[in-house]
Amino acid sequence: MSSDGTGMRHSALVYESQNDYVARAVSFLREGLDAGEGAVVGNTRPGLAAVREALGPDASRVTFIDVGAAYTRPARTFAAYHKVYADEFKRAASVRVISDVQFGPEPGEWEMWTGYEALMNRAFAHLPTWAMCTYNANALPDRVLEGVWQTHPEVVAGNVWRASDQFEDPADLLRRITPAPEPLPELRSISVGHDSETLREALARELVAEGVTEAKSLDMLVAVSEIAANAAVHGGGVKGMRVGRARGRFVCEIIDWGSGFDDPTAGYLPPRDGVGRGLWVARQLTWRIEFSHPPQGFTARLWL
Amino acid sequence: MSSADSHTGLSRQHEQELVVGAEAGDPVACRELVEAFLPAIASVARSYPSGIGVERKELLQEGVAGLLFAAQRYDTTLNTPFWPYAAFWVRKAMQELVAELTRPVVLSDRAVRSLAQIRAARRDHLQAHGAEATTAELSRSTGLTPTQVESLLATERPSRSVEEPLIHEDLSSLTLGDMLVDPAAEREYELVLDEIEIRAVRDLADQLDDRERVVIKAHYGLGRPTQTLSEVGATLGLTAERARQIEVGALGKLRAALAYPAFP
Repeated sequence: MSSDGTGMRHSALVYESQNDYVARAVSFLREGLDAGEGAVVGNTRPGLAAVREALGPDASRVTFIDVGAAYTRPARTFAAYHKVYADEFKRAASVRVISDVQFGPEPGEWEMWTGYEALMNRAFAHLPTWAMCTYNANALPDRVLEGVWQTHPEVVAGNVWRASDQFEDPADLLRRITPAPEPLPELRSISVGHDSETLREALARELVAEGVTEAKSLDMLVAVSEIAANAAVHGGGVKGMRVGRARGRFVCEIIDWGSGFDDPTAGYLPPRDGVGRGLWVARQLTWRIEFSHPPQGFTARLWL
Repeated sequence: MSSADSHTGLSRQHEQELVVGAEAGDPVACRELVEAFLPAIASVARSYPSGIGVERKELLQEGVAGLLFAAQRYDTTLNTPFWPYAAFWVRKAMQELVAELTRPVVLSDRAVRSLAQIRAARRDHLQAHGAEATTAELSRSTGLTPTQVESLLATERPSRSVEEPLIHEDLSSLTLGDMLVDPAAEREYELVLDEIEIRAVRDLADQLDDRERVVIKAHYGLGRPTQTLSEVGATLGLTAERARQIEVGALGKLRAALAYPAFP
């Protein structure tokens, strides 16, 4: 099987052993190299070393990504792969990537990275690429393995390829698994002034007062500027702002006058024609952004 | 929330602040966080037997890297205490180091055939001469270079299982002895602390030229007293309006730096 060059193919490989993984990965990558495609493998260091050795001289034609550093927050992981794709497409018309997602030990994280896999179907859908996500059947919890079938249109286990009849629309899956934001009564309202400059000035005073570092303060100022700009264009302007610390993080809420939107994929799609960039920028700079429709108005909550 | 952790002495709130600070790349927070959890990391490292080809200091350093990676991912909005979460990444980092340094080598088909040749030549030499063949003799018999012979024979070294039983799954099973001050361990900790590799923090301000940086930081009081755009402009010999234009341009530059297109 190979990429047909017209858009993303998203598959999952569920493997039983390291040898199984290496054999599959090498076959997948070599097939792509033989077809003149770019080839990328993402794994932790031992996995990369095993694939590199098995590839032999072909390893020099493959890009190796240490996922030990890449899988921190979904938005940042998308940005990292976005850069990888940008580099690869300078050299080849189509690219195949085989990568191991790092799910972690916490059930709350499993949901988040399952959501990431769902978003993959949209994030790079426009690119001629074949993304093969790999899952260790003996090391991952059942909930994660069940999520494989919900987030990948096709799954290969053993030598059997199957189309998934459990595949879920990414937006529907994200709505289902994303908890509603909890109220944060500890935040305080501050005056937002009449334009983006006075809004930033007010926010900057709060960031400095809370002892946020210079670098992170600038991140928040830029992120909030993007949200405020969206509010001006789509939401009738900024109605209010609440700030403070919650769970150890600086939080800023922007409330606008509009009815808001209901698109859980917003801000996760890399920039391209027809896709806005403001939320993508804001998500790179923050820990998390949540959207909700409380009585006071459509609210974007940015966690730093 | 503010009760002290019995093993690190950190209050939950302080622990959260350190984790968030470490995630942001604050070197002081990184060092304090690592310092607080080094005994726990060392306890995990002790569960690996000596003589497996991995030094204790390497395990500690890898464990520290695992801890700092955990700080990148740890969600303070969840109710999970930090160490049970971080311990997973500390153990994973150490397991991966051990696996990397002691793993069985996956050989290409050609290497497998060459190794089979070497084994046959060894067997034949032993039968003919009653003694093990030297590398030079194996090289002559097989046609492989001495370096190739040595490299292939090195792949046959015994590997250790990375599934060594761990003594301590979490801090709750640490004994008092684990926590006693050990002068040798303290010196080792200092060495590890001094070598912490703190992830290079992306600072958006690095995208700006000097004048843009001055305008943004002065106007918003980042690392210096806040100034109005008039005051900033006066400092630079510019009007307030020109300073505002520079600020708008700088914000646009930062936005563009993060919103690059997929195709050049």
